[in-house]
Amino acid sequence: MTAPDAGLHLSISNVSKRFGATTVLEDIHLGMAKGELVTLLGPSGCGKTTLLRVVAGLTHPDTGRVELAGRDITRAPPYKRNVGVVFQSYALFPHLDVAGNVGFGLKLRGLPKADIASAVHRALSLVHLERYADRPIRALSGGQQQRVALARAIAVEPSVILFDEALSALDRKLREAMQSELRHLLTQIGATAIFVTHDQEEALTMSDRVAVMYKGRIDQLADPRTLYDQPATAFALSFVGQSLSLKGKVVSSDADGSVVETSAGPLRVPRRFLRGSSVIVATRPEHVTLTAGDNTLTGTVVGATFQGSRSLVEIDAAGTRLTAEMPGRCTLPERGETVIFSWPLSETLSFSGEEHA
Amino acid sequence: MKQLAIIVSWAAAVFACLFLLAPLVVIAAASFSPTPVFDLPTGGASLRWYSRIGTLDGFWPALWLSVEIAVLSTLISLVVGTLAAIAITRGKLPGSEILAAALVSPLMMPGLVLGIGLLQYYRSVGFTASWSGLLLAHLVITLPYVARTMIAGLSRFDFTLIEAGLTLGCTWPQSIVRVMIPALAPSFLIASLFSFLASFDNYPVSIFLTDVRTKTLPIKMLQYIEEAPDPTIAALSTIILAGTVALLLIADRAVGLSRMAGTAE
Amino acid sequence: MTEAMPAPPKLSDPERRTAFLLSLPAAMILLIMFILPLGLLLGVSFTGPEGFSLAAYQRLLTTPHYLSVIWNSLKLALVTTALTFLIGYPASFAIARARGGWRSLMLGCLFLPLAASVIVKAFAWTILLRSDGIINSTLMLLGIIDEPVRMIFTQTALIVGSANVFLPFMILPIFAVVAQLDPRLGEAAAMLGANPAVAFLKVTLPVTMPGIIAGVALVFSLSVSAYVVPTLLIGERYPTLAATIAKAYLLTQQPAFGAAAGVVLLSIAIAVVILSSRFGRSSGGLS
Ligand SMILES: Nc1ncnc2c1ncn2[C@@H]1O[C@H](COP(=O)(O)OP(=O)(O)O)[C@@H](O)[C@H]1O
Ligand SMILES: [Mg+2]
Repeated sequence: MTAPDAGLHLSISNVSKRFGATTVLEDIHLGMAKGELVTLLGPSGCGKTTLLRVVAGLTHPDTGRVELAGRDITRAPPYKRNVGVVFQSYALFPHLDVAGNVGFGLKLRGLPKADIASAVHRALSLVHLERYADRPIRALSGGQQQRVALARAIAVEPSVILFDEALSALDRKLREAMQSELRHLLTQIGATAIFVTHDQEEALTMSDRVAVMYKGRIDQLADPRTLYDQPATAFALSFVGQSLSLKGKVVSSDADGSVVETSAGPLRVPRRFLRGSSVIVATRPEHVTLTAGDNTLTGTVVGATFQGSRSLVEIDAAGTRLTAEMPGRCTLPERGETVIFSWPLSETLSFSGEEHA
Repeated sequence: MKQLAIIVSWAAAVFACLFLLAPLVVIAAASFSPTPVFDLPTGGASLRWYSRIGTLDGFWPALWLSVEIAVLSTLISLVVGTLAAIAITRGKLPGSEILAAALVSPLMMPGLVLGIGLLQYYRSVGFTASWSGLLLAHLVITLPYVARTMIAGLSRFDFTLIEAGLTLGCTWPQSIVRVMIPALAPSFLIASLFSFLASFDNYPVSIFLTDVRTKTLPIKMLQYIEEAPDPTIAALSTIILAGTVALLLIADRAVGLSRMAGTAE
Repeated sequence: MTEAMPAPPKLSDPERRTAFLLSLPAAMILLIMFILPLGLLLGVSFTGPEGFSLAAYQRLLTTPHYLSVIWNSLKLALVTTALTFLIGYPASFAIARARGGWRSLMLGCLFLPLAASVIVKAFAWTILLRSDGIINSTLMLLGIIDEPVRMIFTQTALIVGSANVFLPFMILPIFAVVAQLDPRLGEAAAMLGANPAVAFLKVTLPVTMPGIIAGVALVFSLSVSAYVVPTLLIGERYPTLAATIAKAYLLTQQPAFGAAAGVVLLSIAIAVVILSSRFGRSSGGLS
């Protein structure tokens, strides 16, 4: 148990939550600086929403501590937290118009009418909806409703804004446009925000750091680049970006690393493992070349597709399907052709096979 | 063939509308009859029957009783029925489907049988207060309408609205009052309308539970019609109809008839 | 933040207790004011001067007069249901297809009579159908008949009034289903080569079946126990179960007999509910 860092804006430490017999959150630690954008990324059911609800005060953790802006809010009710939430369903109030929704929180805070009006206008112009102030909610498109939900959350100037799969209901084009716009807007107002998503591209685009969650734990918390280059677990590897991986047993180990015997042949990894332990060896498709190198294997080409800037070659290596990425202009091997391929030791990733049962 | 189907369905719809409106139009027309028989006011309309409504024997107490019972039973059913509908639609209750079916089931049961059942029941437990007996009985009449409408309304209600209210600064009670109740207002309105009318118009249950002093308006009206039908009854009916039209117009303004049709059955 | 969860989450006890408390008042009203009285009625129907007795049922189910009373109630319900279905089924299509003002107008035509008092409507039919009433005077004025035709206190009057009162209950459930239908459904069937009659039987009828079942069940169970309409439009000439019950309690003071008649009527209503939910399940429509 680490003591919460005094310099952090939001600090979640040691948080666990069980529903009946299922552990939904297990010993979560997450610290965020002011103005930082963090994404919780993970498959459905891994506990992302529950963690967000713990921060919002809608669910109380069994153990642990949540601090926001220097205040312990672990037991504080939602209305005493100053946390903004953009819900997956948007949760806009159907009986109020756009301005009524955006001004709802300000009205509760007892602000004078004129102040509310100007704050509502400010929030609506940030999301480019100032002309829609007196529209009823049901007259808006999905994208517009999403913006109203955002305006409503930022209007109260919360200490942290939480987004639960807020973009997932939008169609692809709109979602991509919203991603960069939203990031720009949040940076502009200096907001601290947590996004929840199961879409890795969204996570990489939107955030300063990404927390990869798996079965109620944070597997890795890192900036997008580190996450891609140095995934901490086999799960983080498989969930972010493309990869190729082989399972094997360690046959020898020395100061420089280990040799792993896989079904396709022996592979070197730059890390020490106990002899006999089972290990997953992996790399990214773009590190693979069709020449001999540090880790060389042979296989049969089962398919090759040209995709413009790159080509994908699918190889069967002793029963394991692997995908290699080639530059777009290179000559592709024929189907059925036997090829040798390799990737450098420096780009070889390895994980203990027992990490995830 | 397709044309024929369209013609048939439109003909049926027009016929249905005219057929359904016919008695209402007739009653309104007859209320202006210049003579004591039910003539259409072709020669000249007369308002004299309207001025005689108040002189009908026992009219005012009956009207007051009916309004009182209808309003009170609707209010109680709204509270009780909405709470049950929340429990049912949130799915946290074992056997919630059975409860939902049971709550709506009195709608399909003969009112008359409920009436004699309650009469026997009150007698056997020695319960003689007819006003409260009537009110309790009307809870069974109104509750199914409220339960049905509120279950439909709440199953469409997004409970995260309440959580959104909490995160924006509402306490729990504020979230209920400022978010949940206004957002469900259309359902409450439809439920109240159906519930009020069901109670106000009820005859088969009330008839067994009233004594000489407590008679509801429908009972009095049937009595007037059987004893001495004259245009005064038509005038009274027309006023009741006008009130019904006003209620429907309000409901249409607030929620729209299509939506009411959706939740009606 | 609610999202479809794969398996229903395990309930923690406080949530269950809250749900239980919320539903308690309604459940108590239902139990104390509905189930217990009907149970008591069942008990009363089996009593005679010396305790337990089947006499009431014997009288009801073996006397030719009372058998015809039961048949009268069933006949009224059957004819009313058939008639309202024949009018209501095609009509609900036109209402569902109508747009804007027309649709509102027609829905208004359904809701106003539905909201209007049964007594008022039945009373209106007595005015319409009297021998010096509007229908007779119009027919005579047009020279179609020479002297008034007897209409009030006939079975025709009863059926017309009953169909009038219960028609909205047939149309609304069917309308609710038809309004959800994709109008292209029929066209899709036609493109598959089905002729219109086959398309109707294979596509339209099955998908509207849930609405039909709901409407038929509702109209049947309401009309089989109708009291006000027969009382005002035909009276003693057509004794029904409902009238028999009322008479046994209000005039002749024969509670056991009235209770037995009530139990028979209740059984019919329960049978309708059970049958309709059975049929409703086996004809799920398309979705
Ligand atoms: N109120 C609750 N009661 C019981 N189980 C719950 C509740 N909320 C969530 N869960 C369970 O917790 C797990 C994590 O849920 P959630 O946080 O919504 O995941 P995610 O948002 O990552 O998809 C799921 O298995 C879910 O079924
Ligand atoms: Mg979630």
